[in-house]
Amino acid sequence: MTRRLIVEPRGLAPWWLKLLIPIGSVFAAMVVGAFFLAITGNDWVEVYQKMADAAFGSGRGFAETLVSATPLILTGVAAAIAFKMLVWNIGGEGQLIFGAITAAGVGIWLSGSTPPFIAITAVVLAGAVGGAFWASLSAVPKVYLGTNEIITTLMLNFIALNFMNYLVLGSFSPWRDPEATQFPQGRPIIENARIPEFFHRLDWGLFIAIGVAIIAWFVITKTRSGFEYRIVGDSFDAARYAGIKVPKKVLGTFLASGAAAGLAGSILVAGILGKMDPRSLDLGLGFTGIIVAALARLNPIAIIPVAILMGALNNAGPALQSIGVPSATVRILQGAILLFAVGGEFLILNRIRRPERPTEEAPADAEVSAA
Amino acid sequence: MPDRPKSVAPPAVELRDMDKSFYGVFANADVNFSLARGEVHALLGENGAGKSTLCSVIAGLYRPDSGEMLMDGEPVAFKSPKDALAAGVGMVYQHFRLVANLTVAENLALGNPEVGLRLSQSELEAEARELGERYDFPVDPTARIWQLSVGQQQRVEILKMLYRDARILILDEPTAVLTPQEGQALFRAMRTLAEEGRSLIFVSHKLHEVKQVSDRVTVLREGRVVGEANTADAEPRDLARMMVGKDLELPTRAPNESIGEPVLAVKDLVVVDDRGLDAVDGLSITVNAGEVVGIAGVSGNGQRELAQGIVGLMKVTGGSVNLSGKDITGTSVLRTIRAGIAYVPQSRLGMGLAPGLDTDDNLALKQFREAPYSNGPMLSPKAFKTKGAELIEEFDVRGVRPGLPIRLLSGGNLQKALIAREVTQDHCVLIARSPTRGLDVGATATVREEILAERDRGIAVLLISEDLDELLALSDRLLVIYEGKIVGQMPASEATPERLGLLMSGHSEEQPA
Amino acid sequence: MNESVLMLTVMAAIGLGTGIVFATVGEILAERAGVLNLGVQGMMLVGAVMGFWATFETGNLWLGVLAALIAGAALSVIHAFNSVTLGVSQIVSGLALTIFGTGLAAFVGRAGANPLIGEPSRAEFTPILTDGLADLPIVGPLIFGHDALVYLSWIVVATTSYYLFRTRPGLTVRAVGEDPASAEAAGVNVSTVRYLHVMAGGALAGLGGAYFSLALVPSWQDNPIGPAGWIAIALVILASWRPWRALWVAYLFGAAGRLNFTFQTLEINVPANLLAMLPFVLAIIAMIVLTSGKRARLLGAPAALGIPYFREER
Repeated sequence: MTRRLIVEPRGLAPWWLKLLIPIGSVFAAMVVGAFFLAITGNDWVEVYQKMADAAFGSGRGFAETLVSATPLILTGVAAAIAFKMLVWNIGGEGQLIFGAITAAGVGIWLSGSTPPFIAITAVVLAGAVGGAFWASLSAVPKVYLGTNEIITTLMLNFIALNFMNYLVLGSFSPWRDPEATQFPQGRPIIENARIPEFFHRLDWGLFIAIGVAIIAWFVITKTRSGFEYRIVGDSFDAARYAGIKVPKKVLGTFLASGAAAGLAGSILVAGILGKMDPRSLDLGLGFTGIIVAALARLNPIAIIPVAILMGALNNAGPALQSIGVPSATVRILQGAILLFAVGGEFLILNRIRRPERPTEEAPADAEVSAA
Repeated sequence: MPDRPKSVAPPAVELRDMDKSFYGVFANADVNFSLARGEVHALLGENGAGKSTLCSVIAGLYRPDSGEMLMDGEPVAFKSPKDALAAGVGMVYQHFRLVANLTVAENLALGNPEVGLRLSQSELEAEARELGERYDFPVDPTARIWQLSVGQQQRVEILKMLYRDARILILDEPTAVLTPQEGQALFRAMRTLAEEGRSLIFVSHKLHEVKQVSDRVTVLREGRVVGEANTADAEPRDLARMMVGKDLELPTRAPNESIGEPVLAVKDLVVVDDRGLDAVDGLSITVNAGEVVGIAGVSGNGQRELAQGIVGLMKVTGGSVNLSGKDITGTSVLRTIRAGIAYVPQSRLGMGLAPGLDTDDNLALKQFREAPYSNGPMLSPKAFKTKGAELIEEFDVRGVRPGLPIRLLSGGNLQKALIAREVTQDHCVLIARSPTRGLDVGATATVREEILAERDRGIAVLLISEDLDELLALSDRLLVIYEGKIVGQMPASEATPERLGLLMSGHSEEQPA
Repeated sequence: MNESVLMLTVMAAIGLGTGIVFATVGEILAERAGVLNLGVQGMMLVGAVMGFWATFETGNLWLGVLAALIAGAALSVIHAFNSVTLGVSQIVSGLALTIFGTGLAAFVGRAGANPLIGEPSRAEFTPILTDGLADLPIVGPLIFGHDALVYLSWIVVATTSYYLFRTRPGLTVRAVGEDPASAEAAGVNVSTVRYLHVMAGGALAGLGGAYFSLALVPSWQDNPIGPAGWIAIALVILASWRPWRALWVAYLFGAAGRLNFTFQTLEINVPANLLAMLPFVLAIIAMIVLTSGKRARLLGAPAALGIPYFREER
């Protein structure tokens, strides 16, 4: 009747464990990736070397890594702030796309002589507004009607994607470049609205993204509003009891999440793309952002290095094709990393130990009378 | 109580040297226990003594860390409730294990290997009806569980076990949700079952019940067995002493000196519950400064809706709530907090306290918008620490560590933290629901003292509870709530459990009992 | 003329819908047991690629089906382990599996010396009867003119419905999804039930994916199923977790998905992209209308859906 091991929730997890699990997940995923590579006849050492080289091995490579990381920081923050409050916003894809649509719209419509500072600000902010709007289509039914946001945000991803395709590929809307006769293209935004590059293709958008992550962390940990947010994320009932208006908080967080994702879209449009290019915007950045958020354990600051790692992986994909390895290898790695991180979360929340015998003695006045 | 012959048959259930721990704390240690055939055996002890754990081990829900269990003299090891059920052990838990969205018949059929592969609704219903009649426990087999009253649900729980012909029945604090009269009906049924040869374990912390219905009693304290006796031979004083370890007097009210002006005035209040029914149905009460008004009632008669309606957590659809003359009906929760209503809810963790936040954060839960916790839009973390330390010291909250989620504190410490926060804010009214439920003796004493101290400070206290002992000990005036209305009122000097029990079950005082 | 357009639409609806039916019924089983599986898309894709591969290597369609079932189930074991044994976030685990499964399917399709990509299938599911009963007007093609997997899907729907509502094991599943603690106390092994049903869901998702690669689009591309897995997840809710309703809703979705072609034939000019949005828009509207307020309890989700169950609690 004895038991060998007991599993029980921890009180506080040691800090080194919280770091070990994400790092360990990456290594474990690499093992899994190596396995798949090996059984399909590839040299996994060569593959991993190629990936590291492409991502970090040169100035241009590193710049590209950071270019890939920039939107991931934002979609990561978007996912993190929503998930922390148990708002399952998996619509980052759609919010990013709609942000791009709005940003491109403003960027096309502005007069060519608008001063750069105003133009860039307008375009970038338009993206945030667009993303927030798209999120509101799920947020409002959730908050006021109790509609499940997992499904609505998911469906809205596809709606946004098809809408974007319609604007450029399926019609002659203002978003379409009238001068591209060979193949439909997005119309370029005005030159003054472009975010300047400073290192190969890397533009200042990176700092906007980092800034957003820092602001998110700051608001959550240091402000009164952030405290309310943390209470709601812990227990809706306790928050209501404390006088917090929970529906408003949930709505606000959901919209902020959408805004962050929309910002990713506008930075892409105003930065490296210069136009709304459907193919370059449909890259699963929203879902990758969820991976980033989960791996960073929903901490906005941790999201920055994790996004760089994911950016490196994304970047390495095309490089793999040049040595005959499917770029989908990268997706396998990303999925595996997330799986190990999710499983590893178990070790952070619980500990395993052996049972011990009681050490105290029985109370001095215990009596056992004859039955 | 007829003298049972000392059986030579081995005990129906026996535990030897059993230990069970949770998170490094022992719930049961070195427990030796035996249940004879055909007897009603009471497990007596205060809240937290380990009675429920012991029963859950016998019922297969928990696996002990070490020790042995024997049934009819043969060693057994249950890996799950399934094994226990197959061996004929059935348990009715304090929180019922009935699936709310399924029907009575479906719940009876659940997990029962006797029921064939194919489900026939009509067969199940017929059997359920027949069983109900046999034990005088009529139930409607087609009703869904959430539609039934608490007493009816308990019946279904018992029928579930009888359906599987359980030879050993464990009842964990069954009278907690019943009126005194319903409790008597239960005891009659228990004796019938024992006469049939079944063996029953009856868990309670109420001495008078134990004396009334059991043949033998085992006393637990702090997870260990501290005594065992034939009920007939046992003196209540001795049993009580074994339960608490010393002659502990719980604080009771001294006649209060001065009752002040009316502070909280509720008139014809109507509050709608989750199902859209009028849970509070035209209710009026007044609480004066320096007075403890106790509201007794069986759970589910509108207590929750009353408290939450006053505080603003639930919608008031009729009537009014006045605080010192100011109408606060239907205002937001934040306004009622600022107007001076302190509220100790029944669910400590998950409403009164945010389970995942640490103690300092929880202690600031209501005041964080003001100085010193906040400086404009920014928080002042130092203030959280200093004020937290003050309150923890003053109210003797134990087990706190920085960053430790508060849900890991024991029940007593949780309640002390909750009370600490509520009584130290600026307030003139305290509403408390079941404040000592599930607490050990030490914590109960602290909480009771604090409530009386509040009264002495001139706070108007509204105490809503299902525990008659607690109400009688603390209240100046007692009211009874039944189906959302006040059906009786009396000064404490005239209150007895019998009078209250009758009112609680809906008998008005004019009718013959 | 209109009649034949209607027929074409209905047949196309069934064709497009069948793969989704398998996945939806599978997800109903998992969710009825209380586990939310967002990995359906990934499981359908691995089922599609493994089914295609097995048939490609052996020439045998049913071996392909078997491979698809096994592939889907294998991936879902991971989700079951995360959700049931570890009790971590079901949403994140499911999404991780979708990403992993999507990558794996694309990888398998392109890896090795002779990648599968672009290859037509060595065998495909075609209608069983091409004349005789199938020639009857209307009823003919509608009832008798389908391939084996369509009939299999009908059997699966009927069986699952009977299982859930008229057998004791089905009652057990429903109880586990509503209130696992009570089910456990009644002697049910919640873990086992959840594992089995998540795996059944994964297997069916794999089979659904294989329908796309072996019957509908019988050649291999990176993503032959489109967003079918995601649609299945939404359909579970629209079908109120009932297999028969899932059948109709999936066909409705299939019809909406073919609206493009239907309108073209009818010479109604609506841009393809906008039409492609239509099923999703309808899904959202239906969700909002059907699941708000009081209706929720009647058409409701299993009460414990998505909540991890831990056997020993404080």
